[in-house]
Amino acid sequence: MRELTAFAYDTYWLGLRTTRRFFRVPANVISIIFFPLIQLLVFSQLYKDIVQLPAFATDSYLAYLAPGQVVFASFLAVGWAGYGMLVEYRSGYLDRLRSTPIARFSILSGEMVPLFFEAAIMAAILLGVSMLLGATLATGVGGLVLILLLSGLFGIAFSGISFIAALLTKSEQAASALSLLMFPVVFISTAFVPAELMPGWMQAVNDWNPVTFQIEAIRGLMTVGYDWTAIGQAVLADVVVGVVLVSGTLLAFRRLAA
Amino acid sequence: MDPATQAVIEVSDLVKVYGETRAVDDVSFEVDRGELFGFLGPNGAGKTTTIRILSTLLKPTSGGARVAGHDVVAEPGEVRKRLGLAMQTATLDAFSTGRETLELAGRLHRMPPREIKRRTDELLQLMGLEAAAKKLTGTYSGGMKRRLDLATALMHRPEVLILDEPTEGLDPQSRTALWEELERINAEGTTMLLTTHYMEEADRLCSRLAIIDEGRVVVEGRPEALKAAVGADTVVLQVGRSPDADGAQGSAEDARKTEFCTLLDGMVPCEAVAAHDGSVTLAVADASAAIPGLLRRLDGHGLDITGLQMSRPSLDDVFLQYTGRHIREEAADQPIIMGF
Repeated sequence: MRELTAFAYDTYWLGLRTTRRFFRVPANVISIIFFPLIQLLVFSQLYKDIVQLPAFATDSYLAYLAPGQVVFASFLAVGWAGYGMLVEYRSGYLDRLRSTPIARFSILSGEMVPLFFEAAIMAAILLGVSMLLGATLATGVGGLVLILLLSGLFGIAFSGISFIAALLTKSEQAASALSLLMFPVVFISTAFVPAELMPGWMQAVNDWNPVTFQIEAIRGLMTVGYDWTAIGQAVLADVVVGVVLVSGTLLAFRRLAA
Repeated sequence: MDPATQAVIEVSDLVKVYGETRAVDDVSFEVDRGELFGFLGPNGAGKTTTIRILSTLLKPTSGGARVAGHDVVAEPGEVRKRLGLAMQTATLDAFSTGRETLELAGRLHRMPPREIKRRTDELLQLMGLEAAAKKLTGTYSGGMKRRLDLATALMHRPEVLILDEPTEGLDPQSRTALWEELERINAEGTTMLLTTHYMEEADRLCSRLAIIDEGRVVVEGRPEALKAAVGADTVVLQVGRSPDADGAQGSAEDARKTEFCTLLDGMVPCEAVAAHDGSVTLAVADASAAIPGLLRRLDGHGLDITGLQMSRPSLDDVFLQYTGRHIREEAADQPIIMGF
């Protein structure tokens, strides 16, 4: 029990530091928001009339597009999560932390726990901008809270990709490249069009794509109402991805720094 | 055991092997409470590896070490509580301010909040960083970073302070200032172990030092004792041409040598005299005491002495004697190899 308290204490103070590190570089927030925002603005105009296809249940492509971009924002928020630790591994800062009497894994949790809030905040910004542009939030404050929780969970789960790549390769370039390779996974989802409009092989990928479950849950909360099946499926998908990737991260971290 | 004389760092038969390389090859030494112990050697000699083992960052292949009474392998947590570490390059978070950096160090060492505030103020003032306390450390100069790094290592009042190349890359002014700071911290009772490849740094700061080369301690002792053991001081006399030196240069030097041998009979043995064109070199045991007498005698014989230089054996001479190489040749900065 005392060890758990110590772990929480160290995680809190180390997490405060990594949070500062994230928000004190304005480029971090701007670059994360920029890409989904551009897609929202450009695609909602470019493909405005796509909603006339029968597969769409809405008459506003912007309303259809927004949930995917909210998820994309939380994905980008954690896409380079392992980068900071790699830089500090190289600079020797990680060694400085390792020479203090802290719980060893609090170094990792101090990096990961803040990602919950960073992903949720980035998603919230995109949600806010979408609503200014005309998207709806059918479930109001309750839905907002759920969207933030889902986005945070999604962020922690998917941050493992960047952590594993960074900790195993110890190369900023390799870790960055892998994050880019993950983009198709986000795009082969219902972010842009419903599954019915995809070619067969894409539908097969989409059926098992955890990103799609996340998008559908948030889309439900924004456009229709509480769909607990969709929400449950999204939580399950995030948890499965999280257990796999966070376990991998723990192993990679232990190899590097324990 | 009397705590006042107890060894604070005990290293016994320490070995670290990387593949085929024995980075640390059977190193043993002890550092007593209050000492400022130096680890002098060229880059790649095994200094940093030893320090990383002592700071619990690396496990030895064999052998052991105790720091502040605790085994570095069996009780790393106890060692970390009592240890302050400053690494080769100042290891700071560029996106934290000076104050935040120190406060975090206090938190991680479980200091009470009020003590953290008090100690932070104290260290910022001590290191002359008050004005920069609210600035991000990424904007600090090299000297400021070192001072903050040192303050971070001192935050929890460690029993033992380990410093890896503390003045590497600093300009001479910052280096002198940091030396004074380290002397002051040591005078207050903190036991210190530092590595360096700067001889003057080891000479000035360390009460005792070990010279390490290729993973082994080649000699250990007080700087003065090490230098004295190497041999005599050197006195170089600049002498005008003697009137009878018209023959070949070789014979002129021989003649001068004979002349000095005769003159200094009873003061300096003949084999300690070497004559060169325009100068004579004498090896003298205690030059500063011998010079007045030497000059009086030479003066009495009307020799035209135009200059005098005296030099004591340096730690470089000590290094040379034990390893057959000059430390300076080895000390050139090696390129940093980035692994991918």
